[in-house]
Amino acid sequence: MRELGFMGFLGALLVLGLKRPFLFILAYIYIDIVSPQRLTYILLPSIPVSMLMFMLAIGAWLVADRKDDMRVGARQIMMLVLLVYCGLTTYYIAEFQVEAYEKWDWASKALIFAIFLPLALRTKLRIEAVMLFMTLSLAAIIIGAGIKTALGGSGYGSFAMMVDNNSGIYEDSTLSTAAVMMIPIILYFTKWGSIFPPDWRVKLFSYALIGACLLTPIGTQARTGLVCAALLFVLMLRDSKRKSLFIGGAALAGVLALPFVPSAFSERMETIGGYQADSSASTRLAVWRWTFEFAQEHPLGGGFDSYRANRISVATTTVSGSGPSQTMSTRVHTDQSRAFHSSYFEMLGEQGWFGLALWLAIHGIGILRMEWLRRHYRGERAPEGFQWVSPLATALQNAHLVYLLGSLFVGIAYQPYFWILVAVQIGLDTYLARLRKAAAWKPLADQVSEPGTPKLVPTGQA
Amino acid sequence: MIDTFSLALSHALLLIAAWRLVARPDLDSDGVRPGPPDTDILGRPRARGGARGDPDA
Repeated sequence: MRELGFMGFLGALLVLGLKRPFLFILAYIYIDIVSPQRLTYILLPSIPVSMLMFMLAIGAWLVADRKDDMRVGARQIMMLVLLVYCGLTTYYIAEFQVEAYEKWDWASKALIFAIFLPLALRTKLRIEAVMLFMTLSLAAIIIGAGIKTALGGSGYGSFAMMVDNNSGIYEDSTLSTAAVMMIPIILYFTKWGSIFPPDWRVKLFSYALIGACLLTPIGTQARTGLVCAALLFVLMLRDSKRKSLFIGGAALAGVLALPFVPSAFSERMETIGGYQADSSASTRLAVWRWTFEFAQEHPLGGGFDSYRANRISVATTTVSGSGPSQTMSTRVHTDQSRAFHSSYFEMLGEQGWFGLALWLAIHGIGILRMEWLRRHYRGERAPEGFQWVSPLATALQNAHLVYLLGSLFVGIAYQPYFWILVAVQIGLDTYLARLRKAAAWKPLADQVSEPGTPKLVPTGQA
Repeated sequence: MIDTFSLALSHALLLIAAWRLVARPDLDSDGVRPGPPDTDILGRPRARGGARGDPDA
C-alpha cells in the first residue's frame, strides 16, 4: 500500500515535470532526502530512482531551460575543485579503497548536484520552491519523530524512524541537526511564502512542525541537537524586536516541553558537562587527537574513510560516593576504526589541510555573503519588491551557522541535505547579482541624453 | 500508523505545492506577471477575452 502511494506520488511528479522541467530537480531533491526506495520493499528498491531522477533533472535543464543569463559563483568553482581533489585522493591515496569508493559514490553526487543547482535557480519562485521541498521532505520524517517523542518514545540509535538502517539523514544526530537547522527557514515561510501564502493554516502547520523539529533532538537523544537549538535561540535574539518577549516565549515553550522530555534524555544531556565520565565524548576527543596526528603524517589527507586506520585507548574516570568516602575508578578501553564524529576532522583526516581549508572557505564565504545581503537589503535600503531578501538571507545564515555548530560533533561534511542549503545560498546570491547588474544597465542613448554628460560633436562642426 | 500519517501529510503538501508551481508562470521567468498562466495545464493558450458566458467577453 505504502509502495503504491510512493509510486503514485513519483508518477505525478514525473507527469507535472513534463509540463515544467524544473519539477524534476525538485523531485530529485525529494528522493535525495526521503529516499523512498529505502522505505519500500518490492519494486522501488530494484529501480535506481535516485540516479534516474538525477539524469532527468540535469538533462531537462540542459535541453529545456534558459541559460543565456547564467552566472557562476566563486563557491561553485571552489566546490568543483574540492570534488576533483576528493576524486584524486580516492583514486591515489585512499588506503581503504572499497569503502572509499562507496563514499565517493554518494559524496560526489551530492557535490555535483550542489554545483549544478544554483545554475537552475533563476527566479525567486524557484529558490522558494527548493526550500519548500527541503522542508516538506524533511517533514516526512520529522512529523513522525515529533509525534513519537510526544507520546513518550525515545532512545539514541534505537528510535524507530521508518528505516532499519541508521544512515544518511536518518542517522539520529544528522536528523537532529537538520531539524533544528530548518527552523529559521520554516519561520521565513510563515511570513514570506508565496506557494502557500501565509494564512492561519500555514502558520498552524509551521508552528506544529517547528515543535516537531525541537522534539526530534529530544526523541533521538542527540546532544548535538540541544546545542544547536541553544545557538539558534541566541541567533534569533539578534533580530528580534521585542527581546524580552522573545526570551519569555522561549522559556514558556521550554516549560511546556518539559513533560515530553523522557528521563533518559535529561540523564544523557547532563553528561554534556562531564565528558570525563562519558566514553562517547572521551572517544571523540581521542579520535580528534588521532586525526590531528594523522594529518601531520598525511598532510594531503588519507582519502575517504581514513578513520578506519585508527586504534585508540580511552580512559574514563568515574567518581562514586561523596565526601571522604569518595572513590575514583578509571577504566581503560580500546577502540578501533572509530568514525570522526566531526565534519571538521572528517575533512582534515580524509582530504588533508587543503581539503579542510577549501571546505572552511566555502562555508565561511557563505556566511559572509548572507551577512552582506542581510545588510544591503535591510529595511528602507531594500528596493521596492525586495523586502523578502533580508529575512531570507538571515534565515539561510542562521541555518548555516546551526549546521556549522552541529558539524563540530557530527561527521556530516558531505551530507547532501546540507550541500543543498549551500546551493540555495549561492543561487540567491547569483540571482540578486544578476538583477543588480540588469538594474544598473541602461541603453547608451539614455546615458548620453542625461544632463552633465559631455557631448561628442563631429570635428568639422566645431 | 504514525509513520503513515507523517508520510501522507507531507506528501499531500508536496503534491499541492508541485501542482501550484506548475500553474505559476513566474517559476521559469521573473519578468512575467504573477497570477494565473496564459496557458492551461496542457499548454494550450487560454481563450482571450474571457470564457463563454463571460459578460465582459
